[in-house]
Amino acid sequence: MKSAPAGFELTVAVWLLLAACPLTVSEWRISQLSQITSYGIFAMSLAFLWGQTGLLCFGHAIFFGVGAYAMALITKGLLPGVGDSTVTGLLAATLLPGLVALIAGTLVFRGRSLSGAYFAIVTLAAAAIAERAASHWSLIGGFNGLLDVPPLRYGVGANRVELLAPVPVYYVVLGAAGAMYGLLLWLERSPLGTALRAVRDNEQRTSYFGFDVSVYKTLSLALSGGVAGFAGGLFVTQFGFVSPALIGVPLSTEVLIWTALGGREVLLAAFLGALAVRSVESVLSEALGYYWLLALGVLFVASVVIFPRGLLGRLLALSLPRRMAAPADPGP
Amino acid sequence: MAQALLVALDASNFMLALLLVTLGLVILFGLMNVINMAHGEMFLLGAYAVVLVQRYGGSFWLALALAPLALGVIGLVIEEVVIRHVYHRFIDTILATWGLSISLKQAVIIAFGPTAQQVHNPLPQTVEILGTLYPVYRLFIMAVAVLAAAGTFLLFYQTSLGLVARAVIANRPMAGSLGLNTRRMDRMTFAFGAALAGLAGAVMAPLMSVDPQMGVGFLIPAFLSILVGGTGTLLGTLLGTTLIAGAGTVVSSIWSQITAQIVVFALAIVVIRLFPQGLTGGSQER
Amino acid sequence: MLRIRGLVAGYEDGGRVLESIDLQVAAGESVALMGRNGMGKTTLLRAVMGLLRPVAGGVTFDGSDLTGRPPFEISNAGIAYVPQGREIFKDFTVEENLRLGLLGKTGMAARVPDAIYGRFPILAERRAQRAGTLSGGEQQQLAIARAVISRPRLLLLDEPSEGVQPSIVEAIAATVSAISREEGTSVLLVEQNLDLVLALTTRCLFIENGRVVAQSASARLADDSGLLARYLAV
Repeated sequence: MKSAPAGFELTVAVWLLLAACPLTVSEWRISQLSQITSYGIFAMSLAFLWGQTGLLCFGHAIFFGVGAYAMALITKGLLPGVGDSTVTGLLAATLLPGLVALIAGTLVFRGRSLSGAYFAIVTLAAAAIAERAASHWSLIGGFNGLLDVPPLRYGVGANRVELLAPVPVYYVVLGAAGAMYGLLLWLERSPLGTALRAVRDNEQRTSYFGFDVSVYKTLSLALSGGVAGFAGGLFVTQFGFVSPALIGVPLSTEVLIWTALGGREVLLAAFLGALAVRSVESVLSEALGYYWLLALGVLFVASVVIFPRGLLGRLLALSLPRRMAAPADPGP
Repeated sequence: MAQALLVALDASNFMLALLLVTLGLVILFGLMNVINMAHGEMFLLGAYAVVLVQRYGGSFWLALALAPLALGVIGLVIEEVVIRHVYHRFIDTILATWGLSISLKQAVIIAFGPTAQQVHNPLPQTVEILGTLYPVYRLFIMAVAVLAAAGTFLLFYQTSLGLVARAVIANRPMAGSLGLNTRRMDRMTFAFGAALAGLAGAVMAPLMSVDPQMGVGFLIPAFLSILVGGTGTLLGTLLGTTLIAGAGTVVSSIWSQITAQIVVFALAIVVIRLFPQGLTGGSQER
Repeated sequence: MLRIRGLVAGYEDGGRVLESIDLQVAAGESVALMGRNGMGKTTLLRAVMGLLRPVAGGVTFDGSDLTGRPPFEISNAGIAYVPQGREIFKDFTVEENLRLGLLGKTGMAARVPDAIYGRFPILAERRAQRAGTLSGGEQQQLAIARAVISRPRLLLLDEPSEGVQPSIVEAIAATVSAISREEGTSVLLVEQNLDLVLALTTRCLFIENGRVVAQSASARLADDSGLLARYLAV
């Protein structure tokens, strides 16, 4: 993708603007923005998988949901022997979905890999089933889910403090988002990222060059699943409650819409897609009622037809690292 | 014995109902290489067409005739406004139809409300089959499914129109060079797929809770049937729906519905890992 | 009748193949296009047929502008196409292949006339057979029959001798020249086989690097080995 003339400047401006939000916005809005920022991390994880590797996942909420459940189970102290700290929780919320993704990826990509369309259908079916299974599994609260998930905590034993004030929470979440952005961007611009894009653009040709395509796809799914799970873990500390809705088709659909509207090939565009749609939703959905989702659906169709690269992708695209910017244009 | 017969009847009923739902989907997938994520909502619209006709005093049978026509027209509009712009971008057809599915479902909620609607059963009688009482309307659904599948087969394999459609699929540029109107075939095929979805929705309406979520329940088993059976032939569809519906009914009669869904899903994964093109093969490599 | 002016065309992913083509084919005339591989002959036929969208320039046929029209409209205007590699429908029967040559034409009966089997007797024997089971020469005849069944006024032929044994090439030459003579069909032939060019055409154009660079009466080709050496030798 060609870089926009001011992609780098805009990217910096976006992060500065986000960091400055608490100066102007009310505390209530800030706590909302923290939740939405977790969704933004979720959207970036999908953009990495879909935009870089070309894997369209219709069940990405599975990873978000597994992360959310893992976080809730651990910080509520429901899993004996692992403690109930926030750090353990987040670690589990990242590693467990990553592992699930690794196993799922191995299952569907090894050998003759599942084609893109079939991957979409299979992940859709998996999300529908995961949602139903979660609502029938009493250990994780069944249909009602798990209530009273603790907020972010630091310190140990009697000195443990719950982080409740909206502004500090916001900076923690924003910092996490920045860290994930940095991580994914670094991966994208590493040789691994080049290989993933090669897989996306022409799987067959890439395998002719001696790359094991299925390994790259599986790795990408695992990384993306881990980040999605991390976002889910972060999300429940603010939302305070996890239910089967976090693991199912509707949320998988939403994240797809945010990512597609923002721009699937650019991490920050997907991130802002989530922020924008969610923010507008919180303002408009009451006024518009049922018409909100109709409008969003129509907007989504229109953007797929007219702007397949999203509304923000062009603006925020960064130029390639110098190492990859070959003297002759390597083509589109 | 009577229990086994009932399970067998239920399995065939589910299988034929699923076949009816899958037909429209497999035509669009196999012939046009479009994965129609909005198929469930077209099914939904077929059911709501019955609600609408009955609200204005029309009979169920009138509704059953009107629903496919209405959906055919809706299909034409959708093809013209949205789908024709994304034919060459395969993944975007999935996204665009997914967006359509959201929009259509939401339009139904706005028009009819989120709660379930009643459609009364036009054939409430039961009939005795080998000592077991069975609802007549279920038999009617099975008959419609068989007729629709047979009709589709005849249309594609015994008529000039079907020959042209298959030629367009086999080699679009060459078909166009022979003067065959490829645009018209696209429109007609899409409308036909939509009409079949509408027919399925209308037929199933009296036995289902007609609410905005009803499309999704059938869509996933229908997709799994296609994956399992392959997209190349109607025989594959028959095989796929038989396997998915058969396994589903049997497992859920022994354990629970949710177990059945998990088993069926696992089964589908195993099959497509062993037969990437489905049991009968023949889909385009993507 | 066919008039091509300043036609520029190429493939989507970059490469321009036709730089600027100008040529005309008069009613009833048969013209050969010769040149080395990769010089744009096939691309030219595809562009005329509407299978490639020209970047610049235009194609008119009988005075009406065909530039940018979809293939089915160009076909209905009276241009038929026999592509390189034949592209018959291998899973369909011979008869079905022939019917497909008629079904898209407005105002034409959908029945395959017996006359076509008169011209191609081998197809009559094989009419219920799957086209994929025919030999290369038979498939070529089927592709030609499918093209001329709608009585086009211009026939585009791309390498009909490719992969066909010499005796059948002769038969094909005889049949096509009979059709051209009796029905007044013009022919635009892309061919490397000199015998076929001599048998079918009166005029020959040479293409190099996407431009028409020379022309000659076909009859002169046999004597003037310089032309052939210059534009065909590798």
